[in-house]
Amino acid sequence: MISGKIARAASQMAKAPGLFLASLTAAGIMAPQVALAAVAPEPAAAPAQAAAGSYTPMTPTPGIGMPVDGGIGFQQQFSKLGEYGEWIHNAVLLPIIGVISVFVLVLLLIIIVRYNRRANPVPSKTSHHTVLEVIWTLVPVLILVGIAIPSIDLLAKQYKPAPKDALTIKVTGNQWFWTYGYPDNGDFEVISNMLNLPGQPTINNGVREVGSEPWDGPSHLEVDNRMVVPVGEPIRLQITASDVIHSFAVPSLWFKLDAVPGRINEKVLVVEKPGVYYGQCSELCGAKHGYMPIAVEALPRDKYNAWVLTHAGGAIDGQKAAGSETDYLPGEQPAGEASEAPAAEAAAE
Amino acid sequence: MATTADHFQAHSEEHAHDHKPGFFARWFMSTNHKDIGTMYLIFAIIAGIVGGAFSGMMRVELADPGIQYLDTFARWFGATNPDFNSTLHVWNVLITAHGLIMVFFMVMPAIIGGFGNWFVPIMIGAPDMAFPRMNNISFWLTVAGFISLLCSAFVPGGTGLGAGTGWTVYAPLSTTGSPGPAVDFGIFSLHLAGAGSIMGAINFITTIFNMRAPGMTIHKMPLFVWSVLVTAFLLLLALPVLAAAITMLLTDRNFGTTFFDPAGGGDPVLYQHLFWFFGHPEVYIMILPGFGIISQIVSTFSKKPVFGYLGMAYAMVAIGVVGFIVWAHHMYTSGLSVNTKMYFTAATMVIAVPTGVKIFSWIATMWGGSVSFKSPMVWALGFIFLFTVGGVTGVVLANGGVDDNLHDTYYVVAHFHYVLSLGAVTALFAAFYYWFPKMSGRMHSEFLAHLHFWVFFIGVNLIFFPMHFLGLQGMPRRYPDYAEAYALWNQVATDGYMIMAASIGIWFVNIAYAFVAGKKAEDNYWGEGATTLEWTLTSPPPFHQFETLPVIEESHHH
Amino acid sequence: MTTAIQHRRSNAKVALIAFSMALGMLGLGYASVPLYRIFCQVTGYGGTTKRVDAAQAASIKDSGRTISIRFDANVARDMPWDFKPLQNTDTVSIGARDMALFWAKNTSDQTVTGTASFNVEPEQAAKYFNKIQCFCFTEQTLKPGEEVRMPVLYYVDPAFLDDPDNKDVQQITLSYTFHVTSIGDAKALDRDQSGG
Repeated sequence: MISGKIARAASQMAKAPGLFLASLTAAGIMAPQVALAAVAPEPAAAPAQAAAGSYTPMTPTPGIGMPVDGGIGFQQQFSKLGEYGEWIHNAVLLPIIGVISVFVLVLLLIIIVRYNRRANPVPSKTSHHTVLEVIWTLVPVLILVGIAIPSIDLLAKQYKPAPKDALTIKVTGNQWFWTYGYPDNGDFEVISNMLNLPGQPTINNGVREVGSEPWDGPSHLEVDNRMVVPVGEPIRLQITASDVIHSFAVPSLWFKLDAVPGRINEKVLVVEKPGVYYGQCSELCGAKHGYMPIAVEALPRDKYNAWVLTHAGGAIDGQKAAGSETDYLPGEQPAGEASEAPAAEAAAE
Repeated sequence: MATTADHFQAHSEEHAHDHKPGFFARWFMSTNHKDIGTMYLIFAIIAGIVGGAFSGMMRVELADPGIQYLDTFARWFGATNPDFNSTLHVWNVLITAHGLIMVFFMVMPAIIGGFGNWFVPIMIGAPDMAFPRMNNISFWLTVAGFISLLCSAFVPGGTGLGAGTGWTVYAPLSTTGSPGPAVDFGIFSLHLAGAGSIMGAINFITTIFNMRAPGMTIHKMPLFVWSVLVTAFLLLLALPVLAAAITMLLTDRNFGTTFFDPAGGGDPVLYQHLFWFFGHPEVYIMILPGFGIISQIVSTFSKKPVFGYLGMAYAMVAIGVVGFIVWAHHMYTSGLSVNTKMYFTAATMVIAVPTGVKIFSWIATMWGGSVSFKSPMVWALGFIFLFTVGGVTGVVLANGGVDDNLHDTYYVVAHFHYVLSLGAVTALFAAFYYWFPKMSGRMHSEFLAHLHFWVFFIGVNLIFFPMHFLGLQGMPRRYPDYAEAYALWNQVATDGYMIMAASIGIWFVNIAYAFVAGKKAEDNYWGEGATTLEWTLTSPPPFHQFETLPVIEESHHH
Repeated sequence: MTTAIQHRRSNAKVALIAFSMALGMLGLGYASVPLYRIFCQVTGYGGTTKRVDAAQAASIKDSGRTISIRFDANVARDMPWDFKPLQNTDTVSIGARDMALFWAKNTSDQTVTGTASFNVEPEQAAKYFNKIQCFCFTEQTLKPGEEVRMPVLYYVDPAFLDDPDNKDVQQITLSYTFHVTSIGDAKALDRDQSGG
């Protein structure tokens, strides 16, 4: 059921605080360390202890967090900024551009009716009208200022940085799947592939077909492992790519940010309501650009925590899931507590 | 523009020194601006057929969810037993080729190389372009570029045959992401076409500055000449930046440099800055000559001088200048800082002001006029409305915060096809019907031209209007396959494509009709509203016109 | 025909001016690479950190206020290394020098040389983020199976506290990505090092 994949379940590594200075002084910048410990046992299956964690994927509500058949407007929004952005579009921009387009059309129709050759055989010779020219320069300026005020405000709100204790989730775009890292929850990683399409060539080997589980959402959008997030709290999304540029986009959360290799981009996401929200890669990234969707499942905090604990290495506030201590990766200790990490020192210069 | 051109009579075809060279010398080594213009137009039509066929292939694939035809297309391009990745790669090749062909080998050659070459020298009373031989080189470089691009479709480009990077050629997809020579061919193609265009720009600037007939001051030039002048400067300043950027791509690909590779301290986002520093002026390069054409046509068929001539001319200059400082609105989601996004949001919206001046000035030109709805005028009216629709969706996209939802969706596709496919192309057809009898000496069928307009108008709106809905609903662009929910409007768009394609058929019939049965065109077949210098010449004009330079008299209006 | 000759000369002049404009833009296109790098280093644009020497760092006073720093590590797809920060976050005194450690291990059976790219988020904090010593200043080489701890010595400039753009910034993330420079005995490509 839950694959709970741990990418790079590689070597075990113990921390040795005392070593820090040693390595600095020895080599100026760095000193090679001898390999420390044995390779961690590959977690055969997700720990299924009820106490450790539990998770059944949520069944998405049709039409929520996904496009609707023949839809002509934005998807329903589930973030405050999304509601604001949708308001700017629907209440400010759309009426203005609609009125301008209709205004131009009406003027053209008047010309067709009143100033055609038969109705008006003698053309006027007017070719200047200063007042008119000033008006049609200034009125658009005023309209644009009117648009700019909420638009700039939206931008400022979108870029408000996350609070210090916001949960950080790391999103990495790859050709052609997404990985989601949870550095604040034990640094486990979720690999997310699109489900195969029935009757079409295999897109991802070893991945089931869409519709084979009761909770599967729409084809082209559903994935094997969703990006699970807690609902109602700010999440610091840090986005990068391992190969070419991808773009992490979820229309119903008004979120789109490019995944650029070699750097992270950061933005805050707050999902207002539990649910499954689908998106798709939005920067051309090669052959299967169309087949690396995004599925964000927002859960209440307790259910999110239970989901975290289904992952080997998953931790809530530094507490590891039962039976997963063996899968210990460097750098997973909780914030600011490096020196308290289990120190099974075995290193030598 | 009132002109006195009846006193020079150097345009008789029987005139002693109006001899034409032999076929090869005339068409392959041509130094005659009209012949080169004709070649550009024919070339653009051929390129347009190829690019249009690619879009047809895209539309049939998109008619239904799932992958239906890409495997067949992969075989057309020479793949044997393509695997699924190389099948999907064909899609990326199609979108890339469609974009590059339509931009560099259809719209630009037609509107600048074709109509610009034909009518800029005539409209300013010059016997030819300033550098006729360079003009010839420009044309053949463009052809070579097109051939290089076509070659790229048949050589490996990573996951399949051909360059599948999108017309934007973003690094690192275009560098480490696309091994094989296809992308190199594509880049080389842009080099050739770019070099040709820069030479063309130098030629136009020199011609317009230096070769105007006596009395033809800068502020008396027809607006089409103004538009080509502004466009030439945009080409001159924007294309070299593209050349630099793609040359760096080429060395990143082949010679181990890391201009855009983070592994060596480069930054892929810098490529985007450079590309769009070129790319945004590029969209004005495609549309400004269209503005000029529409101004000529609207004035001609309203039998009125252009309203606010100076405002019209300097609005184009303003659009050109502001066009250079708004590029990053194409990169709102690339991780720009908030202050950068705010600046580009504000600057981008400024462009709406001179654009509005143009729209309203065209309307004011017609207002009070005695408008005859000949085919070029109908196309021009279509242009004004469609360009307005495309323009206002540009204002929506200018908002960095709203673009967070719409960026790289079909809304963007709808927007730029409204201003280009429905804007620039509509202007091209307007220009075609306006000047075709002048160029060929044969009248087209007005009935077919009107029919062409209405079928085209319905077709393109059916293709592109539903794309706004798809974009708002979140359908990303450059996708060969999509969720079931997007099926309805994609089906409508594909139906619209078939209608649009039929209209192109009507156009070809009309051309054939003109050559077979069209009646001979008079010198000034549009009558009293047509006042620029081309109407003082025969249809077609003599091989060498204005051997005695026309003198432009002072007049009280433009 | 003197007018014709004059005409031709003046044509050549206009064409030459136009051509030099094009050439100038071409030059600017290339110059944009170093100019962009300098611009980023000066303004912190794109999340570029500052590089300082120890003497400069010594002149900075501890402000007594603290900020949370997050550390992030990535590898490019073709990079056969594991690369992690040894602490996810750290609370540091603004103005005081601090050290963070990263850990890397070559999981392949070949010697691999890598270079790290980096940036800071939120971007407006980058120009206050100063590195005194960093593994990203030079290439790093790891033998097969070798692992290493790599320090970053840094401080946050107290001017950060006075910048209104940063008033909401409560945590700064320092991110690194390791890329392959060369694998095995293959000679390293002639890659240009970026400064700090």
